Amino acid sequence: MRALLVLAGLLLLAVALAPAALGGNGGFAPVPPESPNAARIHDTWIFVSIFIVAIFVLVEVLLATFIWRYRRQRRERFEDGPQIHGATNIELMWTVAPVIVLFLIGGFVFYKLPGIAEVPSASASGEERLEVRVTGRQYYWQYEYPNGAIAIDKLRAPAGIPVRLEVTAPDEDVIHSWWIPALGGKIDAIPGITNETWFQAERPGTYDGQCAELCGLEHANMLASVEVLPATEFAAWLEERDRERASIELGEEEWQGVCAKCHGLGGEGGIAPQISGSPVLTNPQELEEIVRNGRGEMPAVGSGWSEEQMDALIAYLRETPPSGS
Amino acid sequence: MAVNAAPRTPGWHRGRVASWLVTTDHKRIGILYIATALAFFVLAGIMAMLMRLQLAQEDVDLLGPDRYNELVTIHGTAMIFLVVVPILAGLGNFLVPLMIGARDVAFPRLNALSYWLFAFGGLVLMLSFFADGGAAKSGWTAYAPLSTQDPGSGQDLWILSIHILTASSLAGAINFIVTIQNMRTRGMSWTRMPLFVWSIYVFAWLLMATLPTLSAGLTMLLLDRGVSIGGWDAQTNFFNAAEGGSAVLYQHAFWFFGHPEVYIMALPAFGIISEVIPVFARKPIFGYKAVAFSTVAIGFFSMLVWAHHMFTVGLPNSLNGFFMVTSMVIAVPTGVKIFNWLATLWRGNLIFETPMLFALGFLSIFTIGGLSGIYLAAFPIDWQVHDTYFVVAHFHYVILGGSMFAIFAGLYYWWPKMFGTVLDERLGKWHFWLLFIGFNVTFFPQHLLGLEGMPRRVYTYSNGEWEGYNLTSTIGSWVMGIGLLFFAWNVERTWRKGKRVGNDPWQADTLEWYATSPPPAHNFDEVPYVTSARPLYDLRRRLREKDGYRAPL
Repeated sequence: MRALLVLAGLLLLAVALAPAALGGNGGFAPVPPESPNAARIHDTWIFVSIFIVAIFVLVEVLLATFIWRYRRQRRERFEDGPQIHGATNIELMWTVAPVIVLFLIGGFVFYKLPGIAEVPSASASGEERLEVRVTGRQYYWQYEYPNGAIAIDKLRAPAGIPVRLEVTAPDEDVIHSWWIPALGGKIDAIPGITNETWFQAERPGTYDGQCAELCGLEHANMLASVEVLPATEFAAWLEERDRERASIELGEEEWQGVCAKCHGLGGEGGIAPQISGSPVLTNPQELEEIVRNGRGEMPAVGSGWSEEQMDALIAYLRETPPSGS
Repeated sequence: MAVNAAPRTPGWHRGRVASWLVTTDHKRIGILYIATALAFFVLAGIMAMLMRLQLAQEDVDLLGPDRYNELVTIHGTAMIFLVVVPILAGLGNFLVPLMIGARDVAFPRLNALSYWLFAFGGLVLMLSFFADGGAAKSGWTAYAPLSTQDPGSGQDLWILSIHILTASSLAGAINFIVTIQNMRTRGMSWTRMPLFVWSIYVFAWLLMATLPTLSAGLTMLLLDRGVSIGGWDAQTNFFNAAEGGSAVLYQHAFWFFGHPEVYIMALPAFGIISEVIPVFARKPIFGYKAVAFSTVAIGFFSMLVWAHHMFTVGLPNSLNGFFMVTSMVIAVPTGVKIFNWLATLWRGNLIFETPMLFALGFLSIFTIGGLSGIYLAAFPIDWQVHDTYFVVAHFHYVILGGSMFAIFAGLYYWWPKMFGTVLDERLGKWHFWLLFIGFNVTFFPQHLLGLEGMPRRVYTYSNGEWEGYNLTSTIGSWVMGIGLLFFAWNVERTWRKGKRVGNDPWQADTLEWYATSPPPAHNFDEVPYVTSARPLYDLRRRLREKDGYRAPL
């Protein structure tokens, strides 16, 4: 029995360490924050963890100590222990102590909450915030900028400026959830409801995330990313997108984000049939008809698209018809 | 002249199989519940292991997305509605009348009806895999509008199945409440009632209070999907935003049931632990009244916390704050229970037989599940970890590591009462250690995956960083699978040549051990007057004082 206990202890230790060794550095706290709201959530995590770890150690150490200290040893199998029925003072103590701990945790949450939930209207140096409308659709993210420019799946944002996101889903779609772990918590994209969240990333770079609410077959591939660019670079990109509303670049994003998730990057087929080589791809009328209205099991992935958006896809497909097989 | 007042049993009711089909005996119904639920456990467990294989590495091509979503949905639904709740209901069925010194439950025929509804409801769910379009694919939560848009009939069968199971649970709950209120033996006041009976009492009230909301929500879901009766087609738009409905409304209806359901699965498990630990520590439970009252408190508060499952839908933060506070309040009575169990161990004469091993395993694991719940209640943290593997880890620590470990403790503990034989200790220890180790290897890394950003319910992933934890988790799931095979082997072996033991092999405290093992159809020839929460302890002490009686080993 003793040998078994030691063995189990060693194995559990191995269990606790193995994932850390196998999985690189991480996983014991949320991913390193890159935005003030994410940082404040991270602080809350650390604060709560102090108590959680303390209570965890207290309970498990008591448990292990009692198991060891009060094992039967040479006593008789059915020998009674002391007939202690309880103690009111002790009951009160371990009722009140957790209340105090929870009061502290709750207090800290409310202390941090404004900095997490309230969207700043401008950066510290006075640049006004950017507003982007984020629409979750089966199975892609569409971003609309104030000037009307559109992007799919990859959101470009300026460094150092607050970005407010209006998150929603079309009425006929399902619920999705917007989440870029490094840039803050998630918020659901729900048909008929517009939610808001925000981030303000200081460091340029690409931050990945993905849809966090089961939204159908390709939920696992509904990826999102935020590319934070230096402010001037971002402004140039935005202007370019606005001038070339039906750009090949947007068309490529649409192909990859909207079509390829089911039909494959080369149109070779996936959960949906092969479409490379299909005459529909090069026939603008038919392509528009099928993308806007869906057909058979294919949902109306492009319902509500602007003319330019549709033209972008048509132009991209004309230039680089998918050739996978 | 003596009159035989017993009802006449037709001959065909006495056959070996037929007698089980027509039985209204609470003990047989309890055993039927447990056996059927264990069969569903095998199926749901295989589903889980298939999903773990699919996720063992990046881009595995074992299950497609449709098959994976079916398994996610049916595994979750089955574990909750067909495994954990029915086993607990089965233990309740077998034990409650015996523990309160009654002859049967209040409505034996209603009891049989609830079992058969459960069995057929379970069949409907399992057979829905063969439906047009496959089984339901929208998760056990069946969130609208994903669930209303799925064209296959699997989702309709899912709704039908839950409706049947709801009817079954309601009938069972009424039975438990009436039985416990009215049929306690002489001397058994509320504060002399076994703690397991307390937990079943609150379990039954919770079912009564929350199942109607689920039924309403699911009926709305069914109508939103469209019905066609005799050529008359109709469709409502409760959850359809395009016609002015609200998808969030469904979530309120679902979680008003869904969160108490967690406690429906946890409270009887707590009850089992409160029975097992004192017997194997040779002490009375520390703070009987605190443990009993905390059961009631948890039951009450569990109905005030539902929207902590909805922190990311964009409710006002004042509401989020309210639900954070209520969720944290529940931690207090739960903590009271844990500390009372620890205090029961204190200065005890601890005996590490298999029921006790599972009870101690429960304590160590459930503590982790309870504590990770604090993170989830603090809603800004929940905005990070909601719908990730952190949540998957959390609820498996509570339900599998918590409720299922307690259920195994209960099965090993009451097996002698059910069948007169004791499950093998050596195989039992293998079962426990493999399950305990496998469980932690499987689910601990999932906390870390969630924090690294892996969402739940994804059939694949390809970000290059999650393979280590996922592979660890898959290996753990197979260790658990092997552990459960030891349980199956143990049952089989005990069935063939189990060691027969007496009526009270553990020298326990509660009335069920006063009956023979297994008990006769009428349970007791006579029931001793109950003078405390531990009638058998009192009995042993009186015997010992009178003539130096020492119970045989």
